[in-house]
Amino acid sequence: MKRYAFLLLSFILFVGLLVGCGSKDSNDTSSSGGDSEGGKSTESNSEGSDDEVVTLNFFQFKVEIADQLQAMIDEYEKENPNVKIKLESVGGGADYGAALKAKFASGEEPDIFNNGGFKELELWKERLADLSDEPWVENVLPIGKVPMTDTDGKLYGMPVNLEGYGFVYNKDLFEQAGITEPPKTLSELKAAAQKLQDNGITPFAAGYGEWWVIGQHLLNIPFAQQDDPVAFIEGLYDGSETIVGNEKFEQFQEVIDTEIGFGNENPITTDYNTQVTLFASGETAMLQQGNWTENMIYEINPDINMAFLPIPLNDDADADRLPVGVPNNWVLNKNSENLDEAKAFLNWMVSSETGKRYITEEFAFIPAFDNIEPTGLGALGQSILEYSKDDKTIPWTWFRWPDGANKEFAAKIQEYAAGRIEYSEVLEQFQAIWDEMK
Amino acid sequence: MMKTDVGMKNTSETARDTPKAQVRNRHVRMKKVLLYAAFVGPALLFFLTIQIAPFLMGVYYSFTSWNGVSSSIEWVGFDNYVKIFTSDEKFLNSFWFTTRFMLAAVVISNLIGFCFALLLNGPLKSKNVLRTVFFIPNVIGGLLLGFIWQFIFIKGFSSLGNMTGLSFFNQPWLGDEVTAFWGIVIVFAWQISGYMMVIYIAALQGMDRSLIEAAKIDGASPLQMLTNIIIPLILPAFTICFFLTISMAFKIFDLNISLTGGGPFNSTESVAINIYDEAFQNNRYGLGTAKSILFFIVVALFTTFQVMMTKKKEVES
Repeated sequence: MKRYAFLLLSFILFVGLLVGCGSKDSNDTSSSGGDSEGGKSTESNSEGSDDEVVTLNFFQFKVEIADQLQAMIDEYEKENPNVKIKLESVGGGADYGAALKAKFASGEEPDIFNNGGFKELELWKERLADLSDEPWVENVLPIGKVPMTDTDGKLYGMPVNLEGYGFVYNKDLFEQAGITEPPKTLSELKAAAQKLQDNGITPFAAGYGEWWVIGQHLLNIPFAQQDDPVAFIEGLYDGSETIVGNEKFEQFQEVIDTEIGFGNENPITTDYNTQVTLFASGETAMLQQGNWTENMIYEINPDINMAFLPIPLNDDADADRLPVGVPNNWVLNKNSENLDEAKAFLNWMVSSETGKRYITEEFAFIPAFDNIEPTGLGALGQSILEYSKDDKTIPWTWFRWPDGANKEFAAKIQEYAAGRIEYSEVLEQFQAIWDEMK
Repeated sequence: MMKTDVGMKNTSETARDTPKAQVRNRHVRMKKVLLYAAFVGPALLFFLTIQIAPFLMGVYYSFTSWNGVSSSIEWVGFDNYVKIFTSDEKFLNSFWFTTRFMLAAVVISNLIGFCFALLLNGPLKSKNVLRTVFFIPNVIGGLLLGFIWQFIFIKGFSSLGNMTGLSFFNQPWLGDEVTAFWGIVIVFAWQISGYMMVIYIAALQGMDRSLIEAAKIDGASPLQMLTNIIIPLILPAFTICFFLTISMAFKIFDLNISLTGGGPFNSTESVAINIYDEAFQNNRYGLGTAKSILFFIVVALFTTFQVMMTKKKEVES
């Protein structure tokens, strides 16, 4: 009898375990069902909904602003006691895209998340809410609308910010080497590098170990310097354009040769942190990176005097342009039960004084909105803003490339930098990768 | 066993009370089934839901062109498999890398593990401390290990090279195919040998000492004892260790991704990374699962073959 008792007990425990795990789900759905009713009731009669607390799941990838974002959310929750926002940040070294797919596959769909636009928009479109009629849309800068505008003209996301990159240069080291004019063309850049080297300063911090630094940012230059980058990329897709034999891609070789030839030791094992540290500590005079490195550089060297140089392909005046783009966008889940609350939150972020203050001062973003005054920007942000105002920008094109091609491109650039293959082979390989992955 | 048991009881009770015996018989069987279910059931249920079910879903996805997000899943038959064999050179390269890596890693980590085991099975004062020390790397996660060793290879080795001028340290560690390959092998062996050592020590301690003594009396040299007595007797441990290292080396992912990330120029991309990238970076989930199914078949065949081969050689004292 005793044994039966034990058997029964273990069986009950086991069933209890299953029920316990299962009931969490059913609780969730029942409560979120209640939420949606609450959400509907807010539209009909707003007084009755005060006790109904709505929870928004916010899944984002900018780990560097995670704390500030949480502080902003706390303020929003204070102003709107009926909304709770659960923030979760996955990014940096972690793979946001895979984590997001896992979230959707497991049914824990977030209400607010990130999307890069273009190819990513295509991939996720069926899950995204149409935001074309939101009040903030009229204030988005034209450049900020491009990534998330679908072929039918609908807007699916709100740009997070604007970012730009190029060669960051240390003004003091340039002065030391006797360079008075910042180099804006390829010949000037090479001359400057030579001068720096003659003065015992390593010109470039080349981070060729990081696939996105070379396969994405650096390689973007020949794509974006085409007369019409969008048409060129479409031409690559339909086969009317080729990478092999393209003038800009031929010129691109010089850029790599200059950076590697005048760069630090072992560029292929130089990762992001090492690269930025090399520059910030004054060991090198130039750094191929973007304005997101600003805080990191100031932390190491608060007194650094720096600005952006373009990555010039040739000696034309057109070479003096910076790639500026929208790195990412906030998007809403179409099937969210609290879509209206999520929309309200996005709108608050870019229209209320508190939200605007966080975007510029706390996140140190270059806003993609014309109603937000960029304040509190560092030297790099300022430099990008100046280039944008002079209309001397080129687009970020890699969001239009085939999925995963950037990593493959990076491997080929590494191979060339290591002296394994000829440059002509690099271009042939680029073409082959494009054709295979498109 | 159960049947003969009950049968014997029946005959001893001279079949006088057959209906009653049958009831008892059924009773006993019920009890056994319940008992088995209670013990095996939970584990089986978890195994089915988190191993077998995803595996079967994976088999299904491998016949589709799903991108990992879309709600429409298109059936494409064997297209993915055909693509892998006809136009995916990169996958074959990563397979070739993984195989080379597996061979090097299995030999080196087992050799080190076995030598440690022999050393630490002897009368050493510090053996308990050393056993712990050698085992510790296995407790640290592969991802973390990769980052630590990346620092050692890139920063540590180059400063050692500057100090000593030895050409071994002055190589571009992780910067070309050869050093990256051996870099991963070194870290893998460093991580896994302690684990293998523990298994070998357990086997050595379970060995019959009298055989060793007998061999000693017969005047066998230490080498003869090792090759003719010790190794044949602990072959089951070799079976286990080879099996473990082969499957671990084949499936290497975390160490690889944090140490080299598959680079430089994809030369150290393991099959697991290739599959992951295909599914999640290139958004070709169907193709990725097709690769993982093929990968599963190869690993299963290889390990089964290895276990069969080493099992055949096992002897009993």
